[in-house]
Amino acid sequence: MGLVNAQSGPVLQFDDVHLSFGAVKAVNGVSFTVGENELFAVIGPNGAGKTSIFNVLSGVYRPQRGTVVLDGVDLIGKRPPAIARLGMARTFQNIELFANLTVLDNLMLGRHQHLRYGTLAAMAWWGRARNEELRHRVKVEEIVDFLELEQWRKMPVGLLPYGVQKRVELGRALAMEPRLLLLDEPVAGMNLEETEDMARYILDIRDELQIPMIMVEHDMGLVMDVADRVMVVDFGTPVATGTPTEIQRNPDVIRAYLGGDPDAEQDVRHAIEGGASA
Amino acid sequence: MTRTIVTRIRDRAGEMPKAVAMREKRLGVWHEITWADYWEAVLDVGHALLALGVRPGDRVAVQCENRPEWLFLDIATVAIRATTVGLYPTNPTAETSYLLSHSGACVHLAEDQEQVDKALESGDLPELRTIVYVEPRGLRAYDDPRLLSWDNLLERGREHRRANPGAVEALVDAAEPSDVLTLVYTSGTTGPPKGAMLTAGNAEFVLETVLERSPFARPAPGPKDMTLSYLPLCHVAERVLTTWYNAGAGTQVNFAESIETVPQNLREVQPTLFFAVPRIWEKLLATARIKLDSATWAKRHWAGFWLRRADALGAKLAANGGRHTLGTRLTYAVGWVLFFRALRDRLGLRRVRHASCGAAPVAPEVLQFFMGIGVPMHELYGMTENAAVATANRPGRVRLGTVGEVHEGIELKLDEGTGEILTRHPAVFAGYWQDPEATARTVSEDGWLHTGDVGEWVDGTHLRITDRMKDIIITAGGKNVAPSEIENGLKASPYIKEAVVIGDGRKYLTALIGIELDTVGAWAQQRQLAFTTYRDLSEKDEVRALVQQVVDEVNARHNPVEQVKHFRMLPKELDHEDGELTATQKVKRSAIDAMFHDLVESMYADQAGAR
Repeated sequence: MGLVNAQSGPVLQFDDVHLSFGAVKAVNGVSFTVGENELFAVIGPNGAGKTSIFNVLSGVYRPQRGTVVLDGVDLIGKRPPAIARLGMARTFQNIELFANLTVLDNLMLGRHQHLRYGTLAAMAWWGRARNEELRHRVKVEEIVDFLELEQWRKMPVGLLPYGVQKRVELGRALAMEPRLLLLDEPVAGMNLEETEDMARYILDIRDELQIPMIMVEHDMGLVMDVADRVMVVDFGTPVATGTPTEIQRNPDVIRAYLGGDPDAEQDVRHAIEGGASA
Repeated sequence: MTRTIVTRIRDRAGEMPKAVAMREKRLGVWHEITWADYWEAVLDVGHALLALGVRPGDRVAVQCENRPEWLFLDIATVAIRATTVGLYPTNPTAETSYLLSHSGACVHLAEDQEQVDKALESGDLPELRTIVYVEPRGLRAYDDPRLLSWDNLLERGREHRRANPGAVEALVDAAEPSDVLTLVYTSGTTGPPKGAMLTAGNAEFVLETVLERSPFARPAPGPKDMTLSYLPLCHVAERVLTTWYNAGAGTQVNFAESIETVPQNLREVQPTLFFAVPRIWEKLLATARIKLDSATWAKRHWAGFWLRRADALGAKLAANGGRHTLGTRLTYAVGWVLFFRALRDRLGLRRVRHASCGAAPVAPEVLQFFMGIGVPMHELYGMTENAAVATANRPGRVRLGTVGEVHEGIELKLDEGTGEILTRHPAVFAGYWQDPEATARTVSEDGWLHTGDVGEWVDGTHLRITDRMKDIIITAGGKNVAPSEIENGLKASPYIKEAVVIGDGRKYLTALIGIELDTVGAWAQQRQLAFTTYRDLSEKDEVRALVQQVVDEVNARHNPVEQVKHFRMLPKELDHEDGELTATQKVKRSAIDAMFHDLVESMYADQAGAR
């Protein structure tokens, strides 16, 4: 299992964040931290505010109150590109790739923020541009190797199966060499085999590349199997945070999912526990 | 002093240290390994094995995709007079466990986490002391004391080498022709696998036969030739082609990145010598046809025109033993400029000067297609128990539908009663590992190997294989039918991947048929047929009709008792891990009969008494 590293301070501090749209409180006093090498999962029913938390993290929304600190730098008020440069990478719930570009080109785009040469040098394929490009290709090939994308290198992404596209999107985020990786429903719509593959990649990212991650996911089995800690949110409010085992035992969690329907309660309890042992 | 594959490598490293022995693709770039690098690695690994307590006669196992480390370990093992045991990377845990335990391996190379897990879950293996892994990914938290990384193995080897210089070389010089250099487990279609012992002498006889006594290509294979290593190295054919030819002829080995990337790697490498099993040739043929189906109108017609020329060329070449006539040479020359060169380049076969097919029966029309586009194609025959040499079609004397002529230095005869093929020569194996009874059943006292294949002579020179002895179907009417011929006729269609003919003790023949997902999928898309899964597509009426058409065509070529009366679609793709195929992708008939029992019975039930 995971190596939770408690020695150094947290990579990310998300402290008492409030975000409202008019009368709707999307995020209501949520706090958590993510440590080095930690895989932190956020779960909750539809509309619980999970995606809003991601959008606050990546700078799409500016919260009314609270602080978000990545490696000691306050992110509130920073634009998304600036936050990306600080090392925050993300994947999307619906795949956001360039369908007509090849796998390699999509991954190279992930290197964009690391490019230092100008347009003219790039056009001449000379000097610094050439050296840098070769260096970036090596980095991209490491990702191809890591995610086992060899056979699709030169295929346009749009022609690939869904599960592979999700992998390419993960690869593009990794190409940014992120400090913190946000995964928005990484296994949504995948079959069992694709889900198992993705789970293995996620664990390898934590253990081999040692990149901390925040994952939003509905697949309870996956969350309970791979996450180091889990936070449950409901109506924008945090319900509980703890290890998967603690969360499974927490009665508030089950209530949040069901609103007190005893029959359904049994089903969900079964689903959560079944998932953990799968 | 005995010449072995090890001394051949040592001598090459001495004579041409900087020449390329092999290439592998790392991070998208091909890296070269010279003969000097190869020999250094062999010495380091050989010393490491000595340091780990491996002694002459001990077994060293390897379960790994094709990569240089496989060869380093194999040759190092043979260098210290121990025995290599190859496992298929696709062997599930139960088979891995059986093979490790049966061979009594003391060192096992498990490529990565997946293979390490299989070894660790294999239960009690008292003789297994060390598990070496190449890919550390995912293994950080493992604390089994037997685990050792490849880098640490090399480190151990260098230490031992400093302390005991010359220890490996001394063992290389002490080698005897009777040294067992490998156990090749035959993944039998029935019963547990048996470990065929091949000796240093067997390997030398193979190399002398195919490279010196009767070279299979002219000029003989040499350091300018390129091969692509992609079939499992634990199989005798790929071991001969990759490891032994490389040692014996100096051919450059290029390792495919993975089995999925073979088409791309083939295009990049453009090998000059290429061997494939029928399944791969069928797949290449299907690829060529399907690419054209989805091309524009003009391209399709242009290609269609040249493919018809190719069919005609193939037929003429086949009738002429594979030799060109003036007419075919002219047609081909024009076709080369306008079409064939591009097609062969796309398939990765542009530079192939000798192509071969073996290890399973193949439909002649598949081979004829490749002859037609200018790929010199030769069917061969051999089996694990005779180190894969027995017969081959010789350049210019090709006879389609046969496995060619007997190699020089090899005795081959047909059993007078059963027609079984028997061979006797110095490459006949030394017996099955720890199974003297099976050995006695297979090799007679006067040295004849019972191949289990039934054959007949064509024109007194070429051998034709009828079928595996145990696969011959005897219908209720008492007719003997060779199912493989019918099956291969069906599989020659780009739409059919798997065909299993049934009929032993039955009134008539039936078949279970599995479609080729890629080609039938593309065919369905062109017709705007929506489908979800393999099974859904298989069971569409339109697909059934498509298959019926192929069945009718094949039936038309056979007499009534050999015709397939009914067929059913297989509801899933057959798979090694599900126990339906052997590791070499051969159908396990008994397993199929059991698994799809109801499906089979349904083809006989409703017709009971009717026919």
